[in-house]
Amino acid sequence: MNRIARLGCRSLLLCLLVASGAIVAEQNPGSSAAPGKSATSSTPGALPDIHLVAPVSDGQWTIPAGDDGNTRYSALDQINTSNVRSLHVVRVLSTGVFRGHEGAPLVVGDTLYVVTPFPDRLIALNLTKPGLPVKWTFDPHPDPAAVGKAFRGVVDRGAVYADGRIIYNTLDAFTIAVDAKTGKLAWKTRIGDVANGETLTMAPAVVHNIVFVGNSGGNFGVRGALTALDAATGKILWKAYSTGPDSDVRIGSDFKPFYAKDRGTDLGVATWSPEQWQRGGAAVAGWISYDPELNLIYYGTGNPAAWNPDARPGDNKWSVTLWARNPETGMARWAWQIEPHDAFGYGAVMENILVDMPWDGRMRKLLIHPGSAGFVFVMDRETGQLLSASPFVPVTWARGFNLASGEPILNRAKLPRFGIYANQVCPSMAGAKAIASSSFSPQTGYLYIPAQNTCMDVKDTTANYIAGTPYLGAIVRMYRGPGDYQGELIAWDVAHAKEVWSIRDDAFPVDSGVLTTAGGLVFYGTMDGSFRAVDGRTGKVLWQFKTPSGIVGEPMTFAGPHGKQYVAVYSAIGGWMGSADFPDISSDDPYAAHGAAGAMRGIKTATHPGDFLYVFAE
Amino acid sequence: MSSLSRCVLLSLLAACLSGCRSSANPLPAAAGGAPVGSPPQSAVSVNSILDRTNPLGRDPVSLEDGRRLFLWYNCYACHGPHGGGAIGPSLRDRVWRYGGSDAQIFASIAEGRPKGMPTWGRRIPEVQIWELVSYIRSLNTPNEPDPPQEPASEASGDTKVLTSASPASPHSAAGRQ
Repeated sequence: MNRIARLGCRSLLLCLLVASGAIVAEQNPGSSAAPGKSATSSTPGALPDIHLVAPVSDGQWTIPAGDDGNTRYSALDQINTSNVRSLHVVRVLSTGVFRGHEGAPLVVGDTLYVVTPFPDRLIALNLTKPGLPVKWTFDPHPDPAAVGKAFRGVVDRGAVYADGRIIYNTLDAFTIAVDAKTGKLAWKTRIGDVANGETLTMAPAVVHNIVFVGNSGGNFGVRGALTALDAATGKILWKAYSTGPDSDVRIGSDFKPFYAKDRGTDLGVATWSPEQWQRGGAAVAGWISYDPELNLIYYGTGNPAAWNPDARPGDNKWSVTLWARNPETGMARWAWQIEPHDAFGYGAVMENILVDMPWDGRMRKLLIHPGSAGFVFVMDRETGQLLSASPFVPVTWARGFNLASGEPILNRAKLPRFGIYANQVCPSMAGAKAIASSSFSPQTGYLYIPAQNTCMDVKDTTANYIAGTPYLGAIVRMYRGPGDYQGELIAWDVAHAKEVWSIRDDAFPVDSGVLTTAGGLVFYGTMDGSFRAVDGRTGKVLWQFKTPSGIVGEPMTFAGPHGKQYVAVYSAIGGWMGSADFPDISSDDPYAAHGAAGAMRGIKTATHPGDFLYVFAE
Repeated sequence: MSSLSRCVLLSLLAACLSGCRSSANPLPAAAGGAPVGSPPQSAVSVNSILDRTNPLGRDPVSLEDGRRLFLWYNCYACHGPHGGGAIGPSLRDRVWRYGGSDAQIFASIAEGRPKGMPTWGRRIPEVQIWELVSYIRSLNTPNEPDPPQEPASEASGDTKVLTSASPASPHSAAGRQ
C-alpha cells in the first residue's frame, strides 16, 4: 500500500480499485522483518534481513524503475518458476518508430502507457478490454534537429506518473505533462537548448510532487544539470549543475562528502582549466532513486567533455560522480567522484539501487552501483563511504579501488595518448553495461547485471569545441573482450561481492534491463531478441520467446484490472551498441558508431530494427 | 555570386592547386582545443553551386586536406571517424538522403539538413567545403586517405585483466595495494 498512500489516493478510480482489491496489494506479507533494525518496509518474498526502501506492492508500475529504490523487484508471484513455461503473447503493439525502445511502459490503474523514441509519442492502452486496445496517442511534435544531437540514439527511457498526469521528456529538451485520462497536454517546460546539443533521454523521477529531470548531451560539451520542476505547473524550482561554483552545484553547509579528495570550495571550477567547466559535460542522463526515510535522492553524472582528457587538465569535478541530495532544496548531502579526469568515457549515470541489508555483521543502508567502469560499487548511502569495489567484467584500466581514499588505482599503460592507440582497454567506452538497469531480488540477495564484455583501442586526437557538434577528441574501435564472449547476465551475490552464475552471450552484449519477481524469476532480453525467464537461484533458463528485434528496454510486470499478472517488454534494438543494426551505419567500417559496428559484427543478420511492445501472460 | 567573382575564385583555386599545394588548408596542424576561428570573408551562395562539379577534382592533396578538415570540424564525431555513420548517416555506403553528386554534397554541408546537420556555408570557406566533398567522395574507394584499419588487438604494455574471480575479499578493496 505504500505506493497508493504516497499517491494520496488522488484518483478516485485508483482508490476504488484498491478498495475492491482489484489491484493486487501485498498478497503475501508473510516473511517477517528482522526486528527493529530498519524502518524500511518488509517485502513479500524477501530474505528476513533484507529490506527495500519502497517496494512495488500494489501491482502497478507508476515510476520508471517500478520502485523508488530502483530494485526493479516486483512482489507479484502468479507467474513463477513452476508455471512460467506457459507464458504466451497476449498483445503486440507496433509503435511505428523503428528505433531503440529503452525504458519500460508504465501501468497506472487500468491503463498502460508507452513512450516511443523520437518523435516521443505517448500511447495509452486500455487494460480492461480484450486485446488491450489503444485508448489515445499523444504526439508532442519535437524539433527534428534533436535527432542529430542524440549520441546514444534517439531513445526515451520512459515516463513517471504523478497526480493524474504522465510526465516525460522529449528529445528536443522539453519536459511535458499529459493528463493520464484524456491524453491532453497539461504543461510543457523547456529544460535546455537543443541547438547546443542538449537533449533529454532519461525518465524523470517524482518525489513529493517535485519532478526531477537530468539532461543528456555530455558528449556535446553541454553543462550537466539536474532540474527540479513543480509537478502541478511545470515551473522550474531549482537547477543543480554538475560543474561550476558551489552555488550553481547547490553545495552548502550540509555538504559532507566522505572522502577528503571531494572536500573544498568551488571544486567544480578549480578542478578544470579556466572556463572549461562551462562545456564540461557530466550530464545526468540516467536513473534517479529515492530513500523516503533519509529523504535523499541519488543519481550520478556522466563523463566529462571532451573525451580527450588533455583538453581539460584537472580532476574535472563533478563528472563521473555519485550524488545524494535533498529533494526539496536540491542541496547536496554528499558526493563521491568515482574517477577523476576520466580518460575512457566512463560515466556514472547507471542505476543506484537502495537496499538495507547486513554488511560486515551489521545492518547498513546500502547503495549499489554497477557502473560503466566495470565495478560494482557498494556504498553506505547515509555517508557516501565506499564499502566495496569489485569488477564484474574483465577490467584493464584500473587495478582496483583504494577504499581508504576513494580513488581508483590506475593502470597507466592503458591511458590513451595523442595519435597513439592504447590497446585492450577494458571495458570499452560503451561501458561494462548499458544504461539499462540491473535488478536486485530480496529473495536471493543477488543483483542481476546485464553486462557488456567489450574492450577498445582508443587514441586521442584534436578536441575542437564547435557548439552543436560532439566534443570528442578521441577515436575508438571496439571488439569482444577476453574469454570469447561479449554479453552476460550476471547473478552477483552482493553480500560476498562475487558472481554466483552467469549466462553468457558469445556474439553480442546484453543491453536489456532486468526484472525480478517474487515468483523466483529473472526476466531479461538479448540483443538478438530472445526474451527469457530465468530461475533466479540457479540461472537455468526456464522459458524464452524470440521477438523480432533486439531487446534494449526494461522488462516490467503488473497486475491487470482483474488481478491477472502480465509481463511486458519492448523489442526494438537501439542505443549505442544497438545502433550498429541500423541501415545508415556501415557494417564494413569497424569505427562506425564509434566502434559499435566493429563490436557488433553479424548483428544485421541476427536481428532487425523493430518497434514492438510485447505483453505476455500465463 | 557573379560570374566574374566565380571566375576569380576559380582562378585563385587553380593558382593555389598549381602553386601552393597544401596551403588550401589554413588550419594549424593538430592544435589542441581551439574553437573554430573567425568567419570566412565571403559567405557561400548555394544556388550558384548547384550546377557545378568539384573544382578540386580528385586532387590527392585536396583529399588529404579534406580528411584533416573532416576531423577538425567534428564531421567524424557525427558521421564516424571514417565516415561509416554514428549519430549521422554513413557516408561510405552508396545511399544518399540528399543526393550524392559533388554539388549535392556541397549543398548538404553548406546549407545543413533538418535532422541536426549544421549549416556550414557561413562558417567555413568554400574551398574547404570542396575539400570535404573530395574526401567524402573518396570514401570506400582506392583513393581514400587514411582508410579504416581493423583493430590490431595486439597486447600492449600491462595487460593484466581484473575479473570477477579476482577479488580476494569483498570487504577489502579489490586489488588494494
